[in-house]
Amino acid sequence: MPYTDLREFLSKLEEEGQLIRVKEPVMPEPDLGAIGRAASNMENGPAVLVEKVRGYSQKVVLNVHGSWANHALMFDMPKDTPIKEQFLELSRRWDNFPVPVRYVSSTPVKEVKVTKDINLFELLPLFRINRHDGGFYLSKASVISRDPEDPDNFKKQNVGIYRLQVKGKDLLGIQALPFHDISIHLRKAEERNQPLPVAIAIGNDPVLSFVASTPLGYEESEYELAGALRGEPFEVVKAETSNLDVPAGSEYILEGEILPRRRTPEGPFGEFPGSYSGVRLHAEIKIHTVTHRIDPIFENLYLGLPWTEIDYLQAFNTSIPLYKQIKASMPEVVAVNAMYTHGIGVIISTGCRFGGYGKAVAMRLLSTPHGMPYSKIIIVVDDFVDPFNLEQVMWALTTRVRPDKDVILIPAAPGMPLDPSSEPPGMHTKLIIDATTPVPPDVVSREVELIETPPKTELWEKVLRDLQSKIKGRG
Amino acid sequence: MICPRCDRDSAYKVVDSPVGEEWSVFICEKCFYTWRSTEDEEITNPEKFDPRFKLTEESFEKMLCIPPIPPLKSGG
Repeated sequence: MPYTDLREFLSKLEEEGQLIRVKEPVMPEPDLGAIGRAASNMENGPAVLVEKVRGYSQKVVLNVHGSWANHALMFDMPKDTPIKEQFLELSRRWDNFPVPVRYVSSTPVKEVKVTKDINLFELLPLFRINRHDGGFYLSKASVISRDPEDPDNFKKQNVGIYRLQVKGKDLLGIQALPFHDISIHLRKAEERNQPLPVAIAIGNDPVLSFVASTPLGYEESEYELAGALRGEPFEVVKAETSNLDVPAGSEYILEGEILPRRRTPEGPFGEFPGSYSGVRLHAEIKIHTVTHRIDPIFENLYLGLPWTEIDYLQAFNTSIPLYKQIKASMPEVVAVNAMYTHGIGVIISTGCRFGGYGKAVAMRLLSTPHGMPYSKIIIVVDDFVDPFNLEQVMWALTTRVRPDKDVILIPAAPGMPLDPSSEPPGMHTKLIIDATTPVPPDVVSREVELIETPPKTELWEKVLRDLQSKIKGRG
Repeated sequence: MICPRCDRDSAYKVVDSPVGEEWSVFICEKCFYTWRSTEDEEITNPEKFDPRFKLTEESFEKMLCIPPIPPLKSGG
């Protein structure tokens, strides 16, 4: 059964031993950032519910998505489901997209409404995530906006997680990069010198955070993908002051508008590539209305040197859309592993129709909306190589690559500005390594026959495992 | 109040802790650096602030604008 909100999911995590409560009071700094880092360092890292933060009355939850166990539980799979099985199951559910939303009229997130003397530093238990961040950030909030030229078009409504710096009592900075959908909305509003209404949802059904950080097409609805992945329609409610649809289950909704044609300093912020971004001029959001539950839980995300919670959150929601987009025109593709730094590194497994096909698959990746700016290092392996098994991938690299023919550089291509090796920020050189076995008309200078697995190997694996468990039992 | 990051006299208090007298939070209205009174001196004291993260006049001039502000459409 899907979860209706964050709280239901936290209960499930607790039941499965994947949620820890910290009951003693902690300091906002450095404890909350340290708790987020520590939880993601643990094997099968749990979510951590911090019940008392000094100076605040609200609870804080961290690391909700921060392990493969939590990731499986989010989609109602057993917590020990292997990674490739999670990929294949999600890929199957993805085919049910789109599932229309269900509108509700009353929800707990409307219990308290604040429109006067808004002070986000009182309403939210804010804290510095990493030591040299320029301020206190909302790192896991979903921002909802509509296309100003087509405001009634539900499918063009965007839900995205963008980093938000709290820059005043009712002021936020937003990092909207040029290739993000919200930047299209913002550009259209700014061309008309109009504010862009936004709503910001904090503390959500974990599937919403998953879809909000998925690189979907411009006219594909994140809410309708959430419905497909949950197996039931996602529930939304109308915002108080605009035509925006907001998640019915949220803990907090902030409503406001992006101020047109205004940019002010934002950052630095410890980002997903494991280093700080610089200070840049970013857009500002003025908040005029806040609704929240009576006893709200503030959900935030720690990110740092990989792997941390964000690497689990962005693993399959990056891999599966790339897989679907490439497979649509190249059906030989078997799987895509884009788990490395949000798809900066990608491994694709594919059959090859003719010589050079592996390289063509890599170039198809580089023409997808996400692969174009993000993907920098692309490794292509044969269809029988599991791209999630790095030992197998290294085998393919060491035994299939002819460096003079199979390693290609594409200079001065679109890049990702948060990648510190991007030069200038926003451009980089692409590296394609084709580690597939050459097929005609490529020159095959000598035949290569793979060593087959001996018969009865599977049987012996089971026998040996049983024998080993008996030794353990004696100890 | 002096901002520990950009050294301008442009910081103000934005909140005292809502529960108890635990801390206060300050913001610079020029560079938006934000800190809590309970953080250490490399964060709160202009003289001891980590020099790698200081902002100078030159840093403000060189800041990239993301996303760029588009030209106004006629009649807009």
